[in-house]
Amino acid sequence: MASTVLTDARWITRGAERISLSRFLLWLSPWAVLLAVGVYAAALCLFYGLNQTNMDNRFAFGLWIFLDLGIIALGAGAFFTGFLVYILKRVELKPILNTAVVVGFICYSGAVAILMIDVGQPLRAWFTFWHPNTHSMLTEVTFCISCYLLVLSLEYIPILLRNRQLRRLPSFLVFEHQLHKLVPVLAAVGTLLSFFHQGSLGGLYGVLRGRPFAFRDGFLIWPSTFFLFILSAIASGPSFLVLIIATVEKVTGRKLVPQELYRRLAFISGVLLAIYVAVKCIDTLVWLNYTSPAAGFAPWQYYQHKGFGTPILFAEIILLGLLPAFLLTFRKTAASKPWLLTAAAMACAGVLLNRFVLTVQTLALPTLPFDDFLQYTPSWQEVASFAGVIAYGVIVYSLSYRYLPLFAAPKGRDSHVSGN
Amino acid sequence: MSARYGMVIDVDRCTGCGACMMACAAENNVPALPQATARTGLTPLLVRKVSNGNNGETRREAFIPIMCMHCEHDTPCVKVCPQQAVEVDEATGIVMQMAQRCLGCRYCMTACPYHARYFNWWDPAWPPGMEKSLNPGVAVRMRGVVEKCNLCHARLHSAKEKAAVAGKREIDPADYVPACVEACSTNAIHFGDLGDANDPVSKEAHSPQAFRLLARLGTEPKLYYKSNEAWVRALAEPNSPQASEVQRG
Amino acid sequence: MFPGIDGFHWTLGHVLFLSLFFAVVLTILVTVASAAWRTSRDFHSHRAIDLWWRSQFAELPVSDRRCRHELAGRVLSRTCDNAFDCRHCEKYSQFAVLPATGNVGPLGLDYADDRYYHRGHTWVKPEEDGTVSVGIDELAARLVGTPDLVSLPEVGQGLEVNQTAWRMKKNGHEIEVRAPLEGTVVGIGGPKEGWYLKIRPRLELREPATLRHLLCGPEVHGWMSRELERLQLQLHAPNTAPALADGGVLMPDLMNVVPPADWDTVLADTFLQG
Repeated sequence: MASTVLTDARWITRGAERISLSRFLLWLSPWAVLLAVGVYAAALCLFYGLNQTNMDNRFAFGLWIFLDLGIIALGAGAFFTGFLVYILKRVELKPILNTAVVVGFICYSGAVAILMIDVGQPLRAWFTFWHPNTHSMLTEVTFCISCYLLVLSLEYIPILLRNRQLRRLPSFLVFEHQLHKLVPVLAAVGTLLSFFHQGSLGGLYGVLRGRPFAFRDGFLIWPSTFFLFILSAIASGPSFLVLIIATVEKVTGRKLVPQELYRRLAFISGVLLAIYVAVKCIDTLVWLNYTSPAAGFAPWQYYQHKGFGTPILFAEIILLGLLPAFLLTFRKTAASKPWLLTAAAMACAGVLLNRFVLTVQTLALPTLPFDDFLQYTPSWQEVASFAGVIAYGVIVYSLSYRYLPLFAAPKGRDSHVSGN
Repeated sequence: MSARYGMVIDVDRCTGCGACMMACAAENNVPALPQATARTGLTPLLVRKVSNGNNGETRREAFIPIMCMHCEHDTPCVKVCPQQAVEVDEATGIVMQMAQRCLGCRYCMTACPYHARYFNWWDPAWPPGMEKSLNPGVAVRMRGVVEKCNLCHARLHSAKEKAAVAGKREIDPADYVPACVEACSTNAIHFGDLGDANDPVSKEAHSPQAFRLLARLGTEPKLYYKSNEAWVRALAEPNSPQASEVQRG
Repeated sequence: MFPGIDGFHWTLGHVLFLSLFFAVVLTILVTVASAAWRTSRDFHSHRAIDLWWRSQFAELPVSDRRCRHELAGRVLSRTCDNAFDCRHCEKYSQFAVLPATGNVGPLGLDYADDRYYHRGHTWVKPEEDGTVSVGIDELAARLVGTPDLVSLPEVGQGLEVNQTAWRMKKNGHEIEVRAPLEGTVVGIGGPKEGWYLKIRPRLELREPATLRHLLCGPEVHGWMSRELERLQLQLHAPNTAPALADGGVLMPDLMNVVPPADWDTVLADTFLQG
């Protein structure tokens, strides 16, 4: 008889070299533990209510909303890559399309899972679909994110069905083939949805007339943050993909995509980031000089609290905005891997900082003259549930990398892109 | 019926006794939760102590009851609720929170500039025996939904019923008085129809001593404050550098 | 549309927003439904096997996609782009007339000139009664030896070309054998008989399209020698020298003789089972 060692070789794409099953399980086990802790923390929140968190009536949104906004912005690489490949026909980005879809799927499904814990009555979430308030940005976000998660799942299915064992079933393979032909339609729909909900997430805070720190003037029904969020999301999405792919290459010790692709992603990211920084500067000046004073709030007030002074504004726009934009665009720095990765990380950090400022600082700042600047520390349940989402992401990506042809070249196993 | 219910609170008269808060909690079946803190408790009406920031002889203190201001224009919470659980009642101008439609996303809480909205962090509970004293006219809110002042809507409801039984279309203003107004021992809270120019409250709201908090946000709150003290009136502006201390009933 | 909701009134915003939303939902659903419908249509029109085969073919390494004319030495180098189905190849006749110049050295494997070979290592032998017998070729037979289990289709069952014709089991590995041509099963044999199936082809045997896609004559030699080469490379363990010296004879019942090899890959590459 053949060896009795447990093996999953039959499930791994033929020709792909993967670590042994036991080593793979060893790699997964800490993440599985983290996921279990996260699920436990989430269960506590669902079972006992949101008193398990450290949120309160002033800090009604906390760590979860900040990180949701963050990972959704970083997950924008999925729709934007699909848009570039299918709509603008930039076929050179095709090798990273599968990874972009999987990363997008992880980001969005993780965010939706956290949102489901974050609301007080998750079972009532469907109310939004039955009696929507069309004036609410959150309605737009709910509609678009649920639709887009559906689109991402549908884009994920063809990748899933390319698994070596699943594809042996003719019905799966033919469905994969047919669905794959229609993926451009899904990419177009996904682009539309993403544009709207990335914007609406920005609008979420921009419309808050009662929070002059976040409130922005805008165009028609959309505050300026609507457009800024779209820009910053599509600027950071490619950078995040660069980081993910570089990390996977590091962990697996394999060359997955040509260096040229890194450069191209970096360039796209850098140019968009530069545009974003320019628009953000104009927006900030308008807000400081017109919008905020018109609401009766002198802008200096916002920056007089310890740890939240003007350096945060400088960091957001210049240090983690303009600087990485330059580094990503210039041929010299983009050609060096360490500089490229540093710049990509800075771009992602800048967008995260922007989301942090808009979600957390907005709520921390007082509005009434006799209110205080409030601090809030998330409870372990909040941190753990989110860590669980990250563990979930690592596990889903690891499984996808191991069992699905993520970096497959379009034709033939022995094309120039190897490693699968 | 077409009214614009509002209040004028005479800050100079408020002693900070907290009777209004107690009356509010009793009327609206607000649970008594020992585990709640100042930041997580349910206080649809909250009396806050403010000072002019000085110490010694020149120090002045006042009490400002904070509750839903029933913003008339571009009402922040109404606009943001994704599922129409918050609405301005066209007939009364009252901002209504429909707890049975709320999914607890708390977006309205981040939208409210007055922090007058509260989340039910815990299951409602009362000390043993106290549930017998609950107001049968007001539904208890479940865990995970947002609530706030609705100007004692149950009282408006019974006033309407009384009028209907008597065959009248309009309610008798004397039949509809919110619990806090009724409970105030110094008669500091005046309640009336701001839309009726002849209503004494409407006149009071237009007096030079009257002011509204954060009026420049443009949300047209229907809760007015009144004081003869200039430093108290200065609280209307967010820029006034007043010291603050939170006082719970 | 929204029954049971107090005070819900339609506004222009609702109409715009909801129509956009439902248009998007509809597009997504129509996309999925149309993919599902096309899938079921492919199954009804027997195109499913073809699609499946073509997709498998596309994933083969270029070295395994050599045109029969290259194998026979009629052209220097040519990659098949027709999923090994020469019946639909426009260039077939253009090359078929060229003289075969293949090297015919000793192989150590028998193949018969009166048989036609499918790339999944099955042969087809036309019989006088208009049926064909189908079996596995010498290379496959030496690989598998005596299968532990053979599950054959029933008499009367229809087969499409490249579909799984029958399954075999050996040492826990499942082997799917591709049908070399389309037709109806009229008789079943087994390893002992030397043939596995008797098939009545869908088209008359005289029709050129019945067997044209199968390898015959000098092509078989070229193909077999390349397959042997592949097998040699695959069967030696990573850190050892090739177990079968070039020009040596393939041992019978290889799966028992060389147990530690990556049999999944070897079997998948040999029987083209994906």
